[in-house]
Amino acid sequence: MSGEKESLDKTRKYDRQLRLWGDHGQCALESAKVCLINATATGTEILKNLILPGVGSFTIVDGKKVTGEDVGNNFFLDKDKIGESRAQVATDLLLELNEDVTGNFMEESPELLLERNPEFFDTFTIVVAVDLPERVLHKLSGHLWEKDIPLMVVRAYGLIGSIRLVAREHTVIESHPDNAHEDLRLDRPFPGLTQYCDSLDLSTMKKKDHSHTPWLVIIFKYLQIWKEQHGGAAPKNYKEKNEFKKLIQQGVLRNEEGVPEVEENFDEAINNVNVSLVPTSIPSAVQNIFNDSECVNLQPESKPFWILARAVKDFVESVGEGALPLRGTIPDMTADSERYIQLQQVYRQQAAVEAEWVANRVQQLLQSLGKSKDTITEADVKLFCRNASFLRVLQYRSIAQEYDPATAKIGELVGNIEESDEDDAIWYILLRAVDKFYADFNRYPGVYDDQVEADIPKLKTCLAKLLHEYGNVYNIKDDFVHEMCRYGAAEIHSVASFLGGVAAQEAIKIITGQFVPMNNTYIYNAMKQTSVTVEL
Amino acid sequence: MAADLGVLNDDLQEKVKSSRILVVGAGGIGCELLKNLVLTGFKDIEVIDLDTIDVSNLNRQFLFRKEHVGKSKAQVARESALKFNPDGKIKAYHDSVMSTEYDTEFFKQFDVVLNALDNRAARNHVNRMCLAADKPLVESGTAGYLGQVTVIKKGLTECYECQPKPHQKTFPGCTIRNTPSEPIHCIVWAKHLFNQLFGEADPDEDVSPDTEDPELAGDAGKQALQSEAKEDTVGGIERKSTRIWAQETGYDPMKIFNKLFRDDIHYLLSMESLWKKRRPPEPLDFDSLPNTGGSSDNMNLIHDQRIWSVQECADIFKQSVDLLKSELQKQGDAGILVWDKDEPAAMDFVTAAANIRAYIFGIPIKSRFDIKSMAGNIIPAIATTNAIIAGLLVMEALKILSGNINDCRTVYLNRHPNSRKKLLVPCMLDPPNPKCYVCSSKPEVTVKVNTTSMTVKSLEDKVIKGQFGLVAPDVELDDGKGTIIISSEEGETEENAAKPLSFFGIKNGSRIKCDDFLQEYNLNITLLHVDKLEEEKEFEVVGDVSEVQARAAEASAAAAAAATTVSSFTPSNTAPDNSASNNGQGQKIDDEDDLEIIEDEEEEMIVETSAISRKRKADEVEEPASKKARKLNSEQVNEDDDAIVVL
Repeated sequence: MSGEKESLDKTRKYDRQLRLWGDHGQCALESAKVCLINATATGTEILKNLILPGVGSFTIVDGKKVTGEDVGNNFFLDKDKIGESRAQVATDLLLELNEDVTGNFMEESPELLLERNPEFFDTFTIVVAVDLPERVLHKLSGHLWEKDIPLMVVRAYGLIGSIRLVAREHTVIESHPDNAHEDLRLDRPFPGLTQYCDSLDLSTMKKKDHSHTPWLVIIFKYLQIWKEQHGGAAPKNYKEKNEFKKLIQQGVLRNEEGVPEVEENFDEAINNVNVSLVPTSIPSAVQNIFNDSECVNLQPESKPFWILARAVKDFVESVGEGALPLRGTIPDMTADSERYIQLQQVYRQQAAVEAEWVANRVQQLLQSLGKSKDTITEADVKLFCRNASFLRVLQYRSIAQEYDPATAKIGELVGNIEESDEDDAIWYILLRAVDKFYADFNRYPGVYDDQVEADIPKLKTCLAKLLHEYGNVYNIKDDFVHEMCRYGAAEIHSVASFLGGVAAQEAIKIITGQFVPMNNTYIYNAMKQTSVTVEL
Repeated sequence: MAADLGVLNDDLQEKVKSSRILVVGAGGIGCELLKNLVLTGFKDIEVIDLDTIDVSNLNRQFLFRKEHVGKSKAQVARESALKFNPDGKIKAYHDSVMSTEYDTEFFKQFDVVLNALDNRAARNHVNRMCLAADKPLVESGTAGYLGQVTVIKKGLTECYECQPKPHQKTFPGCTIRNTPSEPIHCIVWAKHLFNQLFGEADPDEDVSPDTEDPELAGDAGKQALQSEAKEDTVGGIERKSTRIWAQETGYDPMKIFNKLFRDDIHYLLSMESLWKKRRPPEPLDFDSLPNTGGSSDNMNLIHDQRIWSVQECADIFKQSVDLLKSELQKQGDAGILVWDKDEPAAMDFVTAAANIRAYIFGIPIKSRFDIKSMAGNIIPAIATTNAIIAGLLVMEALKILSGNINDCRTVYLNRHPNSRKKLLVPCMLDPPNPKCYVCSSKPEVTVKVNTTSMTVKSLEDKVIKGQFGLVAPDVELDDGKGTIIISSEEGETEENAAKPLSFFGIKNGSRIKCDDFLQEYNLNITLLHVDKLEEEKEFEVVGDVSEVQARAAEASAAAAAAATTVSSFTPSNTAPDNSASNNGQGQKIDDEDDLEIIEDEEEEMIVETSAISRKRKADEVEEPASKKARKLNSEQVNEDDDAIVVL
């Protein structure tokens, strides 16, 4: 009973977000383990936005003590706690946000922890790192890349923010596309649909039934007539489609005086002619997934996504006759409940049959790979089949690839800046330059008020060196360098708040496997309230 | 703090410390905003919110905890923010910002007003108060993954009402009572029924068959009236209020069921002319229900997302009536229940009643989850979007304080980076609309009404307050004598309320002057007489509104053509394609422009969506036709590319 009560409370507490990612998304979130490296303002803002919606657990790794400066811009650090462990104080205050979330901390510098016990990081769903020197970033990202754990690097630097997402491969089943075509198969009806439509006869129907016949059936019927008249071909071009619409129009019932009645279902049919005649096809993104070697050459260590993709591919190439498994849903339409539900059932049953074929194939594949039967459930198969046209696979570039001059994309980035005269991406180069500065001087430029001026030429030198490494790609105006020194690596709370929102949202996408996360770097300019996404 | 403010120049640092800030709303955006302000170094903040804390707030309104449920948002927000940061000075008001205490003098105390509101009425009001006090206003809103921030300054930018927003569509009473054709009609009916049975009954919310349906012209109407007389002797139901009838039957669920879903439907069937062109409804009897309608293959879905069978609906109807009855009894004789989507029995009742009615009329049945969205006007809401918007809000406020209001932007937050890889779309602020009926120098509007049937009370409630947003109007005739027909002083003009406008000599072309002393706002209305307006409307605003509608239609056409624009407003899996407001006034939302109307007691919402449609269209649509507009817009955005704004 108490379990039921708890789930009711959760349903109510999380009601507004369940409408975005559903119960299964919530479930994924509740079993996720998030690691935050460094409890800066940006770090705690990100965690706050993961704890509120109910992430499973979090762990803060931070070797620093709370300072007065921290307390000034971090909501989750307390004045009374200056001098105490930042990891611990932040953990305690963050835990107050949601009693369903557990939190731990590790009071140790991330660099030492990484040296002493790198396996510590291996159990997390995602690692979020803020305020990390380049040197440590390389070690951490190398380790996580090897272990195939997603990493998000977030940075608030004065009025500039950046987020870098790294994941070897991120697969998305529910990408929630903005505009999805219905999957109705009117161009290639399955036997159940044909049978159902054949069981209805518009010509003998009374007014009530006639004007409540679902438009799907109407198009099916008139398509048959059209095809008989046109040697079996469906309407192809604009002209033919218009003629086809006219043909349907002629089917509207007439009263005793021969005046056409108002039949909304016929209007709907006419309005839906164009979308219904779009041939059933496999989107190129999905085709690419089928052609991927991970799909073709399954291994015992293959992820469920690829086993499912392979089973669907096999379906397409055999019983599916070139089409994906049927989605099995129909849109709302004018119809009486009885026939609407019947039609719904026709689609659902076909979808169920096809999903079952896929499920059986999945079981065969699991068996041949020597994996346990319950690695993939029937519900997983159904979800996968329903979303088969929306599957997405993202392959990210590693930090190593980003930094290695041989594989870096800075040149490309700069080319784009020059072409579009939008300069937000320049800040990326500046952020890299201050990292170089840090590597040289062990502090960021402008952190001491009296050294801002003196740091400007030093930063210019760092910038020049950096650009030289990548082949002198671009000439950056001094204004940017001045601005960067003026920031003095300060973390402004509003920028942290903004980044906390964006970064947490991306983390939720990674954790739930829903919606398509960005690829791979996001730059925010708080002065102009602009932002850009670039692949580096 | 020092490092934080170091990025801001000395002058601005001082301003941040000395400025007085008013935050209107302590909900999702408000909580984030208070935190951001305190941590940016603001020392003098006042916050006002009328609301109390609900469980469903806790997934994002992080200043609140479980133990705060039911308490004042403003006060708890203040306490929580101070607990974390005791240096700040925050004053909290648990009150409506529309109350007369908050006059222009009140608003004049502040340097900037920040809106974190959730409804249009309050936004309109704060807009006017800031215009009257000549104070800059930063407006904000979120819905799901989408959000927006904009800046309003008298004489310099568009005000909140410069682009009139399409009005909430209400359904004709006879559609709700006699001829529903969409799920939303049944849901609105079920909510009315709840109020009739358990809540505060509103005569505009009658649920019984409507014999004055305009479709029942001539003989058919008479026939129906005759049969009404017959029915009366049988059930004795038409002459009594639904409430009294239900009380007399002891809230017997079976009797209520059979009256609503059998007898009333038979009665509707007797109005034959209604069913000449429609599928007639099919009455149901509690004792012989079809066991269909449910979805059998979805048994693994949770209860809320499964489609119930008619039998299940009837069972749940019975259970919920029993529960609500005992709730009502606990309240004593004059007790009433207030419908709340988060109250399980109330939500069960509406789901069951709406679905049974839908079944009867051959309308698709919906899950409880979907009906909750529609009945409760639920806008999905998450912490992340609010955090983003509150961050943007403070940045705009800083620009205003530093005297750089020209650098301020309207910023739209997309659901994901758009085709140009932009998550944020900043747009130049538009100059005031010279025809605006709020911020122009001599606001004028023209309204069509039937002057012989509209009462003074309707004019006041529906036109002057409802449509034009005045809160305490004094209204005089422009007849040379200055006859006062409505006074803001309570009781002064009460005797006029029920009289028709024509009683005061108002006829086609008459002008009235409306004066709201609180908003310091004058509006002249020219009234045009018409005998009848379409769709049973009581009045129609001439000019602006039709322009707006045309624009909205244009925008939605563009949205339909382009994948990236307005359709992206709707989370694809749980899109609330329809909606009904909480006060029972139905409203329908087309999915192309759903945000334009979503507005209710729920969370923050988008500010000015007709403008979104316009601007998004201009900014994003990849259609050749709008390329010019887009180019124009990106030029605007980029014109200060080289200038680094020093805050």
